[in-house]
Amino acid sequence: MAEIKKLNNIAPALILIVLVIGSWELISNFSDIPTYILPAPSAIVRALANNFGLLLYHSGYTFAAVLPGLGLAIIISPLLALLMDRFTFFNKALYPLLVISQAVPIFAVAPLILIWFGVGLLPKVLIVALVCFFPLTINLVDGFSQVDPEAIELMQTMRANRLLITRSVHLPSTLPYFFSGLKIAATYSVLGAIIGEWLAARAGLGIYMLRAMHSFRTVDLFAAIIVVVVLSLALFKLVELAGNLAMPWQRTDYEHPER
Amino acid sequence: MVLTQQKKIVILITLSLLLFSTLLAGGCAKPKTEQPESVTLLLDWTPNTNFSGIYSAIELGYYREEGLEVVLVQAPGSVIQMVGANRAEFGFSFQEEVTFARLAEIPVVSVAAVIQHNSSGFISLKERGIESPSDFEGKSYGGWGSPVEEATIRALMERQGADFGRVEMITTGEVDQLVAIEREADFAWIFYGWTGIEAELKGLDFNFIELRLEDPALNYYTPVLISNEALIDTNPELVRRFMRATAKGYIFAIENPEEAARILTEAVPELNADLVLASQLWLAARYQAEAETWGLQKLETWDNYGKWLLEHGLIEEMPELEKAFTNAFLD
Repeated sequence: MAEIKKLNNIAPALILIVLVIGSWELISNFSDIPTYILPAPSAIVRALANNFGLLLYHSGYTFAAVLPGLGLAIIISPLLALLMDRFTFFNKALYPLLVISQAVPIFAVAPLILIWFGVGLLPKVLIVALVCFFPLTINLVDGFSQVDPEAIELMQTMRANRLLITRSVHLPSTLPYFFSGLKIAATYSVLGAIIGEWLAARAGLGIYMLRAMHSFRTVDLFAAIIVVVVLSLALFKLVELAGNLAMPWQRTDYEHPER
Repeated sequence: MVLTQQKKIVILITLSLLLFSTLLAGGCAKPKTEQPESVTLLLDWTPNTNFSGIYSAIELGYYREEGLEVVLVQAPGSVIQMVGANRAEFGFSFQEEVTFARLAEIPVVSVAAVIQHNSSGFISLKERGIESPSDFEGKSYGGWGSPVEEATIRALMERQGADFGRVEMITTGEVDQLVAIEREADFAWIFYGWTGIEAELKGLDFNFIELRLEDPALNYYTPVLISNEALIDTNPELVRRFMRATAKGYIFAIENPEEAARILTEAVPELNADLVLASQLWLAARYQAEAETWGLQKLETWDNYGKWLLEHGLIEEMPELEKAFTNAFLD
């Protein structure tokens, strides 16, 4: 039963993808659109296979920025959100700054970022952290504000200490917010690293894309896009998996112990 | 109930620690080389044949002979600021950018003209009938939307009594110029040595208006290699060693274009090998041209273009040209 349901869930997306790629292939083969404007999917797959080693090499550099950047956001966001939840002053002071931090066009301040943090890994990690911590923090602040005050009161009347309240009321009701924020952050993270690489880098998927573009190799550019999409999807799935592990009661196939 | 929550916390903490440890590992994993001195060279664009001498010098060990290890970083749009702030020792720039930087009191110095003459100009499809700047009238230009582009096109047209007001200026930015001139715009500004060669390889039927043939003042240096005043003052020997190896690399590329093309393609396999080879063969005789040695810069060239910029209102005063460039590091 579960398998059929699962299939039903992904079937529409699958059908659409097959249709789009199929007609794209047909259009590419039976029209005179030059490959440097729109390469055929089959050509992209071939480019992907031919450049696999090179793409892997560049992906390594990109991931060296993505993982620590995401990690940094996972550490900073809960602290910031906790601060903002406990103290109204911090909430009022930080909320506008958080929004401003996302509005600054990174390309415009590129030379400054590089002068401050150099051309190594650090600026890329920071840019990833910058784009990731925002959805995380905002979601967590929302999550903390949604905690049921009656549940806390109930715990207090039962003389539960602060730690226990945090653990059994705050945490479970905030975790879904944390993980939905993390899902958004994970999908942004690879993009953040690529933006960082466009500013300055020795290698990375962003550099690969620039080189393909400037060598007039559109097909290689598309191959890199596929790698970026696959990596982002993998990160997304990983977060979803971690979410299911941490919150078994949220799973669709979860059987509640009381029932 | 409590137990499962503990589990959750454990999972969360483990997850955070895992990510944190990758952060630490990433931060500590910098390679530490003791022997050669490391210098950073910033590339202002994707690696191309303008940089071939550098790639040859790296591959053939010319820098190592000078006790240097060159780290290449692709940093489009930030080279001037980074080199000016001494966060990188060397970089690729062009005469106009150095002129503007000097006036903004950014202490960069051009230490070599990579190519002796400006090989840029305006490309258009033959069918659009653009053979001289006066034909720009009623046509559209696709570019970056910078003031210098507008001033250059305006000046070239006014020399021929044409009306700049009748040119439509379109910003196409990163759009492949060879695609842009087939669709959005009629003409675009390209470097012949890369995009022009690509047009040839693609079999396009095109016209090319070479800038320096239209106005000798526009025969400025592009690209140039830059360093900064602080480094030149405190460690001229380092600059000299770097430039000695670099000159050797370019001379190798001049004498062995096929080999230089192979080295560049192997170092940067993302590039199109056919384009690299054709471009390298075209450039070989042009790096040094008629100059006595590779890299030599003339005060006259700096002066001509500086005055041109001044005349057309793009700068308000002339920079001190003697400080903007130097031939002191070329043997």
